[in-house]
Amino acid sequence: MSIDWHSYRTDGFWDELITGSGRARKGAGNLCRVLAGLSDEELAGRRTAAELAIRSMGITFTVYTGEGSGSIDRVWPFDIIPRLIMKKEWDTVSAGLAQRVRALNKFIDDIYHDQHIFGDDVLPREYIEKSKEFREECRGISPPERVWAHVCGSDLVRDADGQMYVLEDNLRVPSGVSYMLENREVMKRVFPELFEDYVIHPVDDYPNQLAACLRSLSPRRSPQIVVLTPGIYNSAYFEHAYLANAMAAQLVEGSDLVVDKADKVYMRTIEGLVPVDVIYRRIDDLYLDPEVFRDDSILGVPGLMRAWRAGNVALANAPGCGVADDKVIYTYVPEIIRYYLSEDPILPNVPSYRCVEKDQRDYVLANLDKLVVKPANESGGYGMLIGPKATKTERDRFARQILANPRNYMAQPMLKLSTAPTLVDASNQAGGNAEARHLDLRPFILSGAKTYVTTGGLTRVALKKGSIVVNSSQGGGSKDTWVVDLDE
Amino acid sequence: MTGTLHTLSSTAQRSYWLGRYLERAESTARLVMVNGHLLYDLPKRLPLGWQGLVDITGNRTSFDELYGEPSEKNVTRFLINDSKNSGSLFRSLNNARENVRTLRGIIPRACVESINELYLYAKDSLSEPLSRTRRTQGLSEVQAFVQRIEGFMSANMLHDSHWSFLRMGNFIERADMTSRIIEVGCDHMFDEAADLEPFTDIQWRSVLLSLDAAQSYNQVVQGPVNQNAVLEFLVHNTQLPRSLAYPLNSLRNSVRDLPHHDKALRLINRLRRLVANTDVSTFDISDILAFVDSFQIQLAAIHEMVSKSYFTFNPRKPTRKSSTRKS
Repeated sequence: MSIDWHSYRTDGFWDELITGSGRARKGAGNLCRVLAGLSDEELAGRRTAAELAIRSMGITFTVYTGEGSGSIDRVWPFDIIPRLIMKKEWDTVSAGLAQRVRALNKFIDDIYHDQHIFGDDVLPREYIEKSKEFREECRGISPPERVWAHVCGSDLVRDADGQMYVLEDNLRVPSGVSYMLENREVMKRVFPELFEDYVIHPVDDYPNQLAACLRSLSPRRSPQIVVLTPGIYNSAYFEHAYLANAMAAQLVEGSDLVVDKADKVYMRTIEGLVPVDVIYRRIDDLYLDPEVFRDDSILGVPGLMRAWRAGNVALANAPGCGVADDKVIYTYVPEIIRYYLSEDPILPNVPSYRCVEKDQRDYVLANLDKLVVKPANESGGYGMLIGPKATKTERDRFARQILANPRNYMAQPMLKLSTAPTLVDASNQAGGNAEARHLDLRPFILSGAKTYVTTGGLTRVALKKGSIVVNSSQGGGSKDTWVVDLDE
Repeated sequence: MTGTLHTLSSTAQRSYWLGRYLERAESTARLVMVNGHLLYDLPKRLPLGWQGLVDITGNRTSFDELYGEPSEKNVTRFLINDSKNSGSLFRSLNNARENVRTLRGIIPRACVESINELYLYAKDSLSEPLSRTRRTQGLSEVQAFVQRIEGFMSANMLHDSHWSFLRMGNFIERADMTSRIIEVGCDHMFDEAADLEPFTDIQWRSVLLSLDAAQSYNQVVQGPVNQNAVLEFLVHNTQLPRSLAYPLNSLRNSVRDLPHHDKALRLINRLRRLVANTDVSTFDISDILAFVDSFQIQLAAIHEMVSKSYFTFNPRKPTRKSSTRKS
């Protein structure tokens, strides 16, 4: 029975393509008409075409399955119905992201130098110094352009009122951009006709922009750039190899690099040692250099911090920049923007409560059944309490944890994450083959000599009905994200 | 531009070992298969049997510890399945798989997948207990699988320095295997010369079969199988891929494509001269064994030099100038 938009149910959520009254949103009319015009067989055919493309392009993510069995590559789960964003809205979002990252970089630089922000009472000193991501070893270092977070992936969500919010900023080693690029390639193969109907802004400039950003971190005209990966068992290895290839940069592991007594970095090649100028590292801070951080790290390079401090090599992202993706610090980002840029934030934060402040903590403890509580320094959705879905026992346990260590927690109201139509197997229900699934958006922001924001980003979608977990390791998939101009 | 793309020592080393393990897997499969065929032609009272295979792979000590009696069952198990035997088929395939995993982006994706499938196929179809027929089927499929993979790589991957290393791995392993097969062939002849007299031709035929060289022998030599003719053919023929001369010539060609190859090339040429200047027509068994011994020592020196020049830490003065040769 193919797709039937009249019976498609949005259930009170904001849907990215269809309004509450069942009509296509502005700009989505053409797409919805084409989709509704496809028979069951045609839809299945397009879906198979997408799967074949993904297989033949080798788009995978790695799931580690434990000792002995090693790891397996899973094919990237992909939904063929794109998510649309109007160019006009995107221009605002993009300006908001650039503003945000500019402020965060100034903030990180301040934290590791004069710490004006504490003196001016914007943020209590102990919040930073107690952060797990604060690195004393980075004090006094001035990376090129005074930029610390060269690659940032911020997660955006849209609430029921249609407003986009920043849910979190990922400043350490954010991943997903290769899937954004590959999703577009897949869509061009699957729906070539739609690319004639729409003015869809391209995304494929990213590798060039990343290469330019990394180049700008070295004084050399043609610097040697390497991508430092933890290796094939890392879930994002596909992306590391993909980006290295797309930038024509060298993909290396820690054991390929060596730092000499003069604090210079080289890679071991069949021609001998070759100097390295810029390292796009996809290894966490604590594994970077066993001389400084975890001495049991076999992923890192002994002496790398010495070389970085001496200014002999650029590290992207700089060590220590994770201090700004602490979730308690996140609650201060609007203040941080005002403080460093004297501008009002363009993009709002999700309203948040700091458990470290008594009145807000009391509110959180009294309303645990309505809130989402997050620990300050976990990523990937670990250690969270989703109040409305939790049992009383779980909520009580969280209440005790919050009281024991209030600095480590913040809380947010449960958002009504927006949805988009997603192809499903069963066709005997409302909407036919399309059902609403929750999603978010991860754009990437590059900061070097210049700032660049991706056109759209990676849309991650929770493939399970009603689920809000979009992580690929937990049943999430993705969609192509179209930033479109209306020809009007 | 983001600088010049270089060949990392680590990926060069893995390419080299991938070449060695694929070659080793194929020759082990062929050895077990051929020997199985051949033994059925020989009287049971003869001592050579399956022991020779263990000797070819150079793992006599570990075999004796693990199994003792060189029965067909024990030897095939040791050579095919035993993960404690560093030269077993399963170990070679697993090592090939482990090396190729880290070469994604260098080796064509389809080959990475085929090598993985090959390992799984071998595990599935060659685990015990096996009838001779099923064992032979499985081994010949493994052999064909490896040949497909090597053909695909040759036709589809960049013939860059990684390719040179992979081929060097093939050739060094192949030269090594041929020398071992000749050595063990002679060894058994030497020990049991009197007793084996009527069967020496069969013995040398087995040597030819073990190297897939019987048909070529007939084409080139056009005469009966006898010791001197076979040795002459296997040592000197430059058209036979599994002779001693052939892989050395190929090795020379591959190493010339690499930077600062002077030392390794000198050793390869020294060994080529040794082979070329050896007149096997006057050799008795002990002369052959002495020759094979020097051959193996020099081949090991080439391996060491390749490792030292390209893989292990290299104290050469770092240089900024980009390579003149594409890598």
